[in-house]
Formats: sequence, C-alpha cells, structure tokens
Amino acid sequence: MSAPHPDGVTLNDVVDGLLSAVERDDIRRHLTGCDDCRSLVESLREVKSSAGALPPVQPPREAWDRIERRLRTEPSRRRVPQWAWLAAAASMLLVVFLGYRQMSILRRQTSIAQAAASTDQAENAATAQFVEAELRQAEDHYQKAIAAVEQQISTSDKASLDPQTAATLAKNLSVIDQAISESRAALRAQPTSEPAQASLLESFKAKIALLQDTVALINEMRKGPSAQQKGT
Amino acid sequence: MTVQDAEPPDLVTRCQAGDVDAFAELYARHSARIYALTTRMAGSPDTGADLLQEIFLQAYRKMGGFKGEAALGTWLYRLALNHCLDFVRSRQARMDKATAAIDDEARAPALMARREQPVERIDLERAVQQLPEGCRAVFVLHDVEGYEHREIAKMLGIAEGTSKSQVFKARMKLRALLT
Repeated sequence: MSAPHPDGVTLNDVVDGLLSAVERDDIRRHLTGCDDCRSLVESLREVKSSAGALPPVQPPREAWDRIERRLRTEPSRRRVPQWAWLAAAASMLLVVFLGYRQMSILRRQTSIAQAAASTDQAENAATAQFVEAELRQAEDHYQKAIAAVEQQISTSDKASLDPQTAATLAKNLSVIDQAISESRAALRAQPTSEPAQASLLESFKAKIALLQDTVALINEMRKGPSAQQKGT
Repeated sequence: MTVQDAEPPDLVTRCQAGDVDAFAELYARHSARIYALTTRMAGSPDTGADLLQEIFLQAYRKMGGFKGEAALGTWLYRLALNHCLDFVRSRQARMDKATAAIDDEARAPALMARREQPVERIDLERAVQQLPEGCRAVFVLHDVEGYEHREIAKMLGIAEGTSKSQVFKARMKLRALLT
C-alpha cells in the first residue's frame, strides 16, 4: 500500500522551506516516489519564483497628470517652520510691548524735565544722598540681574535667531539703553526726582524682561525644528 | 531609474518646501514600485491608480514629518503599504466571503498537469488580479513583496496559519489559472 499524499499546505511548506528536518526527510521520501505530489510542489515553486520576480509597473501617464493637478490646487504648503512663526510673533510682541514702554518712558522723561524745573534747588542734601544711595543699590541689583541674563545669552546659540528677529531685539535693546541713559542724566540734574527714579528702574525692568524673552526665544528656536517634526 | 538610486541631496528639502517639480522627480523615481504594489493589492489597475494618487497626495502632505531616519523611498513605500493595508482591511468582510469559496480546494489540491512553458509576467499579473481579495493581498505580501507569514499576520490582524493557508490557496488558484 502506497503512503498517503501529504496535504496541500504541507507541500506548500516544502516550497517555503518551513518544515522541520524530520518532516522534510519524510516528504522528500514521498516525493521521490510520487510524480503527482512532486509536480504539484514544482508548480507551486514556479508560481512563487515567478511572483517574486515580478518587476515594477509603470503607472499610466495620466496618473501623474491627475496628481499634479491636485498638488497645484492644494493650498500653498511651503513649509514655514513653527519656530519661525513663533519668532515673528515674539518679534511683533516685543515691538508692541517696547513701543508701549517707550511711550511710557518718554512720558516720564517729560515729567522729569518738568519736575527738574520746578523742584527747589535747595532741597535737603542729606535726603538727596540717602535717595541716591537707595537708587544705586537698586541699580546694582538690576545690573547684576542684567549681567546674569546677558551671560546666559552669550553662552546660548545666538545664531539660531533669524536675522530679522535679532535686528528687532537689538533695536529694542538700544531704545531701552537710551531710556536708561536719559533717566540717569535726569537724575544727575535732579537726584531726588521721583519720576526720574521711577523711569530708571522701569527701564532696567524692561531691559531684564527683554533679555529674558531673548533667552526664551533662543531656546524655543533651538528646539523648534525637532519639536515641529514630532508634532507632524 | 531604480529605487536603489541615491536620492539627490536636496530632493527632500525641496519636496518639504512644497516644490511640485521636486515632487514630480520623487514620483518618477518611486511610482513604478508603488503602482505595482497598489495594483496587485487592489487587483485592478484603475483602483491601483486611485490608490497611487491617494498615496502621493498623502506623501506630499506628510512630507514635513519625514525625519530622514530611513531612505525617502523606504518611507514612501511604508506609507504606500499602510495605505494598501487600510484599503484591504476596509474590504475585510467581502474578503472573508470571497475566500470561503476555495477552502475545500485548499484541503484537497487538484492534481493537474504542470504547464510546460515558463509563466509569462503578463499572464501572472492578470491571474493575480483574478484572485479572491483575501488571498490576493496575503499572496502579494508574501510571494511578491517578500514578507514573512508572522509579519503579514501582524499587518492584517490574522493568525499566522491563516496567512500560510491563504498563500497556498492563492498559489493553487494561480496554478489553475496559468495552466
């Protein structure tokens, strides 16, 4: 009595080499004496090898025409990195914020001039010295804070700021530095002038805020491209 | 041109910038491989062309997410494969119905004469299109694209044994169609 034929899936496994060594030996023995099963395995193997050799297929010409039409009508997707929008937004905010500060500072400058004109020149010298000392102390405090933030910026990668934003920041810093020197000049003329003192301190605060914003912006820009990629 | 050709260094950047001409270059480099996949998986040149269009539009929109961790062609192929798998899965119910018809055939393979001539490519392409949807997708993934049964099982959410039996069914059907 001849051995029963292996089932089709087993013969298929022969083609794919998925049988164990023992199974393979059994099947090989059967195939040696069974033309039908051997023929089946060979034809399955031929189908497999022919399928594996199928080449790429050129799509019809109109396929690209359809795609191109769709692409040309897609909303513009020129990729502006998110950090660039952030930089632009930050730059605009700074302009508005510092414009407001500058107006405030200029208003104070006017008050300083008026105050200087109307203040009694014979004001108590001791009071003036006390106020000057207090102011110097406050100024030292702000200068140290400014130096710390500037140090932070100098160790950051300033190159990550786009030129337009960097120019806006530089311009705004220059406006604040100008306000600081004008406030100092007003205080030299009238040391006890409260508007002048307030203007100086306000300018220092503005400078620190701007420098801190700059640090934040540099950090944001540096991580911007990778964050953008993660988000898309 | 083959997909093995190195991509021009600025192709990704230009594509990411939305340059349609650069995208045309990308299409020229990879469309034949993708179209072969979509046509065979769908079993129809027309549906294959529709899938091809959807894939390239999707690639255009997703290009910003390409991180360069793999070759652009590999990224595109994965995108295409996932799109084809979605297409196949969406037809799952019909697939089950269609493959049931040849279950018996799988258990008792017909012993028929082996064809004397080698299989012609064009005949095989046509025969693949005639396969029932379920076994066609598994066959294309296994015998044409070279995936293993465990990978196919994972992709399609089927048992590994099902993948094996579907490939067998497809080969038997093709054998009959090509004889």
